[in-house]
Amino acid sequence: MVVLREGMCPGLDADLVRDLRAADVKTVEDLVSSDTEDLAQKCSVSYRALFAIRRVLLAQHTAFPVSGADLYEELLSSTAILSTGNSSLDKLLDSGLYTGEITELSGGPGSGKSQVCFGVAVNISYHLKQSVIFIDTTGGLTARRLLQMLEAETSNREEQMEALQRIHIFRLFDVFSLLDCLYSLRTGMLQQASVGGGSVKAVIVDSVSAVIAPLLGGKQSEGMSLMTQVAGVLKTMAKDFNVAVLVTNHVTRSSSRVQPGLGVSWRHVPRTRILLERVEKAAAVSRSSMRSATLIKSSRQLCHKTEEFDLQRWCHSEGPSAKRKLEDMDS
Amino acid sequence: MQRPVSSLSLSSCVKVKLVGAGFQFTADLRHLSPQQLSKGASLTQQEALEVLQAVTREGGSDKAAGAGGSSASMTALELLQKEEEELRSIVTFSSRLDAALGGGVPIGKTTEVCGAPGVGKTQLCLQLAVDVQVPPCFGGVGGQVVYIDTEGSFVLQRAVDIAAAAVRHCSLLVEDDEQRVAMETFSVDTVLSNMFLVRCHDYVELLAELHLLPDFLSAHPRVRLLVIDSVAAPFRRLFDELLQRTRLLNGLAQQLIAMANSHEIAVVTTNQMTTRVLGAQSQLIPALGENWGHAPTIRLILQWAGSQRLAAIFKSPCHVDSTVQYQITTEGFRDIDQSDQPQSKRPRMHNDQSAAGV
Repeated sequence: MVVLREGMCPGLDADLVRDLRAADVKTVEDLVSSDTEDLAQKCSVSYRALFAIRRVLLAQHTAFPVSGADLYEELLSSTAILSTGNSSLDKLLDSGLYTGEITELSGGPGSGKSQVCFGVAVNISYHLKQSVIFIDTTGGLTARRLLQMLEAETSNREEQMEALQRIHIFRLFDVFSLLDCLYSLRTGMLQQASVGGGSVKAVIVDSVSAVIAPLLGGKQSEGMSLMTQVAGVLKTMAKDFNVAVLVTNHVTRSSSRVQPGLGVSWRHVPRTRILLERVEKAAAVSRSSMRSATLIKSSRQLCHKTEEFDLQRWCHSEGPSAKRKLEDMDS
Repeated sequence: MQRPVSSLSLSSCVKVKLVGAGFQFTADLRHLSPQQLSKGASLTQQEALEVLQAVTREGGSDKAAGAGGSSASMTALELLQKEEEELRSIVTFSSRLDAALGGGVPIGKTTEVCGAPGVGKTQLCLQLAVDVQVPPCFGGVGGQVVYIDTEGSFVLQRAVDIAAAAVRHCSLLVEDDEQRVAMETFSVDTVLSNMFLVRCHDYVELLAELHLLPDFLSAHPRVRLLVIDSVAAPFRRLFDELLQRTRLLNGLAQQLIAMANSHEIAVVTTNQMTTRVLGAQSQLIPALGENWGHAPTIRLILQWAGSQRLAAIFKSPCHVDSTVQYQITTEGFRDIDQSDQPQSKRPRMHNDQSAAGV
């Protein structure tokens, strides 16, 4: 449903638009679905001209078939696999985050979603030297934590600063500003990418459920519509700009079974979903930093595979830290 | 792909009318005058004007982002500088808890204190309400506090005790002239006059208060702390429909963090505990459901372990999980005295703290 305007295609001038409007043909859809012969008579315009306009409009609004071979060629040349910096997660994700896809992390409070996001951001900006866009909707991001992770990687102050400069942060707390941001990113992304050096390879939204959940529930249908909008723009962004999109989601618990939030319609959005959980040691007083990750949706790997990893040792730090030793002692 | 009209921040009936009239994308609206639009989509002039403003705003942000200067965007390096220069923490007067939290309760974040009745949630809130006013030359932030009391648990006498103790503590620390001058205006009276107490009886009052709060905060730029004691009380009663409650709570959470971020205040909320039954076992967990658990940036759980009180960092994006011991004295929220501590416990607690000092 696009409104007819003059100049949309050759032959569609102001007079014709006015005549069409008088004949109750306002949108492209109206024009295409109406009887051309009939319309030509009503608007006193030649059948041939109207037919030509119709064809051009149809051509403008259609999608073109692409051959599989071309697609494969493009895939090989453009898809990158970004390592998360954590071998266990990489194993689950089939060696990392794929560009052009949406990957989702879900988990309860304190399950390490944000930490994984930070780790991924740091790894991409420091090891892969690419830019990252980090959209923080929960206020959980602190630059100090990012710096801490970088310090575990390198002691070179300059490299740390450079890596930090490649992480672009947006802080947004409602769905409309998120949409505003995503749409403006899509139009201005390429220019923005060049700012810190290296192109934008990943967009991280932590968390997507925080802005959408307040709109869902009750009898409101608008929340659903906005959720699909967010999903749509994330997907097209991932595809068009070849970036990896990483989102986080909360979990809901129905009779001790844990599953990602946002309901059934969101389930189709991410290509890969990972559920993070704390590993609770029986009778342990102090809480461990071990987390388990379970693959619950994937198009590449066998699902329900579980890997365990330690949040403390995200960034290849040498040997267990003091904290780890302490915990081993305690448990 | 163009931006659909339905993604704009407009009322849903306006959007329905726009889409019905064939205006699917913002690009379709960009070259219209309000008159044309109001006629074309049968909107009032006022509505048409709002629509066009929303569209031009969107167009404007395109250019800003294109130039690499969208207002909300910054690099992590800029954020780090901002954190180091501007955003400080509010000390708790318990050095161990401060160390575990990296200096105290952070400004610009939301912190939730959960715990069973009587474990010291309100005491910690009162302590923070006083501590936020400690002058900058003593390592405080010299701010004011908005204290929203929903349980009726704010006891003025306790606030006076804690304030008197804090003033006494600072007066003992005076070393230079600057501090002496600061002490002149730091007294129990000024501490009390810098507390804005709001009593909310039910969730409607609480939500209404939070909607009005941004204006109040703009009028009082020195406010650095918002305490809500507690979020649980109004939301745990009078709710038939749990979905509705979850939705309101999720909205509330976003409101709080947005406020914390834009007005540079620390938000401290308290929450009650509830029992989750898992087969034959039961477990004490924070109330208000799983979903609310995502709301605070930092979640502290206060609990009893025998006769000791423990504070545990349960969730935090920038601190390691750790547990510290504290006590509640007449003076307020304090570290446990060295001598009071059983010898066997001593080394471990010590380690815990040093490991947590990030």
